[in-house]
Amino acid sequence: MTTRAHPFRRQATVAALKETIVFWLLRAFTYVILGFGAIIFSIIIYKGSPAVFGSIRFDGAFPFIHNDFLFTKPQTLHIFRYKGELKQMSAAQYYAFTGEGTPETAPAAATPEQPLAPAVHATTEVVTPSPARATNAASALLAPATPTPPAETPAPSAAQPKIDPNDITEHETYSYAAGGIWPQIVGTVLLVIGSMTIALILGIFSAVYLSEYSKQGPLISAIRLAIVNLAGVPSIVFGLFGVGIFVIGMGWNISLLAGWFTLAFMVLPVIITASEESLRAVPRGFREGSLALGATKWQTIFSNVLPYALPGILTSSVLGIARVAGETAPILFTAAYATSDKLPWELSITPNRMHSGFLGYVEYPFLWIHDFALHGVSALPYHIYVVSSKIPQNEYTERVQYGTAFVFLAVVMAIALSSVLLRIRLRNRLKW
Amino acid sequence: MDESKPSAQTAEVVPTKVAAPSPSDKLARLNAPTIIDINNVDFYYGASKALHGINFPIKNKLVTAFIGPSGCGKSTLLRCLNRMNDLVEGTRIGAGSIKISGVDIYDPSVDVIELRKRVGMVFQKSNPFPKSIYENVVYGLRLQGINSKSRLDETVERSLRGAALWEEVRDRLHTSALGLSGGQQQRLCIARAIAVEPEIILMDEPCSALDPIATVKVEELIHQLKQDYTIVIVTHNMQQAGRCSDITAFFYMGRLIEIDATEKIFTNPTQKQTEDYISGRFG
Amino acid sequence: MPFSASTNPYSNGPASEQISNIRETLLLMASLADRNLSLAIRALVERDEKLAATVEKEDSQLDELEISIDELVINHMATHAPVATDCRLMLVASKISSNLERIADQAVAIARRSLELNREPLLKPLIDIPRMAQIAEGMLRDSITAFIDRKPELAQEIIKRDKEVDAINKQLARELTSFMLEDPATITRSLNLTIVARCLERIADHCKNIAEEVYYLYQAIDIRHERDKNA
Repeated sequence: MTTRAHPFRRQATVAALKETIVFWLLRAFTYVILGFGAIIFSIIIYKGSPAVFGSIRFDGAFPFIHNDFLFTKPQTLHIFRYKGELKQMSAAQYYAFTGEGTPETAPAAATPEQPLAPAVHATTEVVTPSPARATNAASALLAPATPTPPAETPAPSAAQPKIDPNDITEHETYSYAAGGIWPQIVGTVLLVIGSMTIALILGIFSAVYLSEYSKQGPLISAIRLAIVNLAGVPSIVFGLFGVGIFVIGMGWNISLLAGWFTLAFMVLPVIITASEESLRAVPRGFREGSLALGATKWQTIFSNVLPYALPGILTSSVLGIARVAGETAPILFTAAYATSDKLPWELSITPNRMHSGFLGYVEYPFLWIHDFALHGVSALPYHIYVVSSKIPQNEYTERVQYGTAFVFLAVVMAIALSSVLLRIRLRNRLKW
Repeated sequence: MDESKPSAQTAEVVPTKVAAPSPSDKLARLNAPTIIDINNVDFYYGASKALHGINFPIKNKLVTAFIGPSGCGKSTLLRCLNRMNDLVEGTRIGAGSIKISGVDIYDPSVDVIELRKRVGMVFQKSNPFPKSIYENVVYGLRLQGINSKSRLDETVERSLRGAALWEEVRDRLHTSALGLSGGQQQRLCIARAIAVEPEIILMDEPCSALDPIATVKVEELIHQLKQDYTIVIVTHNMQQAGRCSDITAFFYMGRLIEIDATEKIFTNPTQKQTEDYISGRFG
Repeated sequence: MPFSASTNPYSNGPASEQISNIRETLLLMASLADRNLSLAIRALVERDEKLAATVEKEDSQLDELEISIDELVINHMATHAPVATDCRLMLVASKISSNLERIADQAVAIARRSLELNREPLLKPLIDIPRMAQIAEGMLRDSITAFIDRKPELAQEIIKRDKEVDAINKQLARELTSFMLEDPATITRSLNLTIVARCLERIADHCKNIAEEVYYLYQAIDIRHERDKNA
């Protein structure tokens, strides 16, 4: 078959060849990157999901979610042989099983007694001041806590007679490997909500000032450049900044408040830049139309510019949310505890009634806020760091390691998704 | 056959003085009182001079059109009249003054907000806010803290009637203003401007984005509005200036070349530049 | 009476205002011309000098109106760039107004002749001239009616009547020539009557022109000089 000769005939030229090569190279790079991402995510999902959705493999109850992993506190996992039989128990179950009584009377339980597990205790560097208190609280609050119980383990009961300690052999303990990650989830959500609120308020206000009020000049340009550069500063630097300013300078110690502000300052550059962009994207006509009707500048911005910039600001904040939720370094020294005995609202250290000088005893009904904000929390990213680096990696710890990572991904996605939904709602309402 | 002519009943017919409508009436109307007095205004964008010694009055309750090629300063001058140029950085009045009802609007004692309430503006691109039609019209009143339902309702009807839009939108006042057609949107913007009861309405190329039918409607509206408002309109459509203005001012390169009654400008301009421009020979 | 809102193509706005203005001015001019013509004929028939004087005085008004129509027309053309019917109206209005002005001039001429004729007794009873005047006046009124009521067919019909006037004029000229040949004393009067007849013939021509313009305005067909072409 002869090809018809016409001026637009396809011909094999060098340019055409290059075009093909470039296309396939670009495509290959992209898919390799995507492939790595897919591998990482599938590993996390494959290994982490059983901790949450493992029900099909274990108890099989709808909706196949392990409430105890999501909604209980972490506990130390005890692995031992009782009369030659391998047993796997959380701390609460273990103490009930051995009948060692209240942890206060048996603090030795947490210390390495057994010669069989020296290595474990050597690596378990993170030993909270009194993990026993935590387990006590956990056992009191969440009596039926049964994390990944092997089916053959009988449910421990307090009435069980005290067993002979000599029957327990090969006793190993792994911190945090039993129980759940509820305080970490709570801490992460609190950190995200608080720091994003602070960051959005500060960020939007300064963006409004920078783009609407300030006179454009070298100073403002320098400030803007500085803000953009701040976005590139490593997060550990923000962490140290937080330590210097909030933890020590303001005397907040390691607390939710210090964490909020540190994280807020970390995402501020992103928020400010994004907010400025969004404000600029609001048509000039909205401002002019409003001003021409005799509105003041603030009236114009508040009622006719900000509402239309908000969807854009929220979109860009999604990025900030992911960062706030994911960064370990800034909260390392400012907000995070490896484990906290109580959830933030369970703290009531400061009495509501205090003697304050000549006023005598005064009621302070809102002092719980003080306790709430000025105490540290656990957080998912920090927990991942702890469980992946401070305890050994084996079949007993995999559950908490991958499970936490999986939950963490899910939490970030959930926050991001809700932000996207909010944006879509706003955008639909305020479309132009 | 004489009987068939009723007007010639008697021999003593007095010659009747017939009131012939003549364009000279229009000239007589130019003696209307001055509302805006533009006095030797120089205007600068940064270092470049955009207006050179502009000097003319704007008459009360007449339509004054500014025409001229792009960049001739007509829009700049319009935006000086309600100080919208304040929003652009680096702009300033170099010399001269603009007086509205005798008050220099660039005096430091002038409240720009009050000025803009008295001097409304309609823009080239219709810019209804993404709110309901109702909320668009009452926007200016809400800014002033007026929230009485009856007062707002009354204003909405009055303004929309004034903007010849009431019949078209009365059944959907609470739907989005963005659902209106381009011409309706522009008339909504006019309604929004007249809702705050200004004395002067500035229009910056109000029909440049509209189709001919919508343009005719806006022009008819301008013709009606002139009963109650002083209107200054910037247009790059010369025919529009001819159709809807009483006085036309021709600008070129930041200078006022000629101002006169519109008929005079369009039939017998005194300046060659004006004639060339309106004949479409340049610009 | 002049326009009903229904026949006005514009709802409101400056363009329609100016157009109505032109049409109304034209109408005013037509009625004045019509009146002057009647007065001139009455001056002749009733031998009334005052009426003749009135005709002369009122002529200046028509001149002013002709100028002001031209001014309105040029202003409207300059500011509104009219098209289609409006555009034709501009041309037609200008032509009609000049025709009307000439009709009025002819009326003045008739009035002047009547003053001269009044100094002497009647040459003969006036029969043909009032008939011509009646036809001419009818033509004028009908052409204006055609203009106002947008009736091109009426305009077409007017054109035919011009021939009647021409015929009467020729016949009258022959008659008056015979008078003059018989008695040289009647030459002045005969000539004056000839001139009056000729004026009326001219007026009829102008009316025909107006009718042609009206037809052109509404049908956009130029029917001028058709007879020449067909011939």
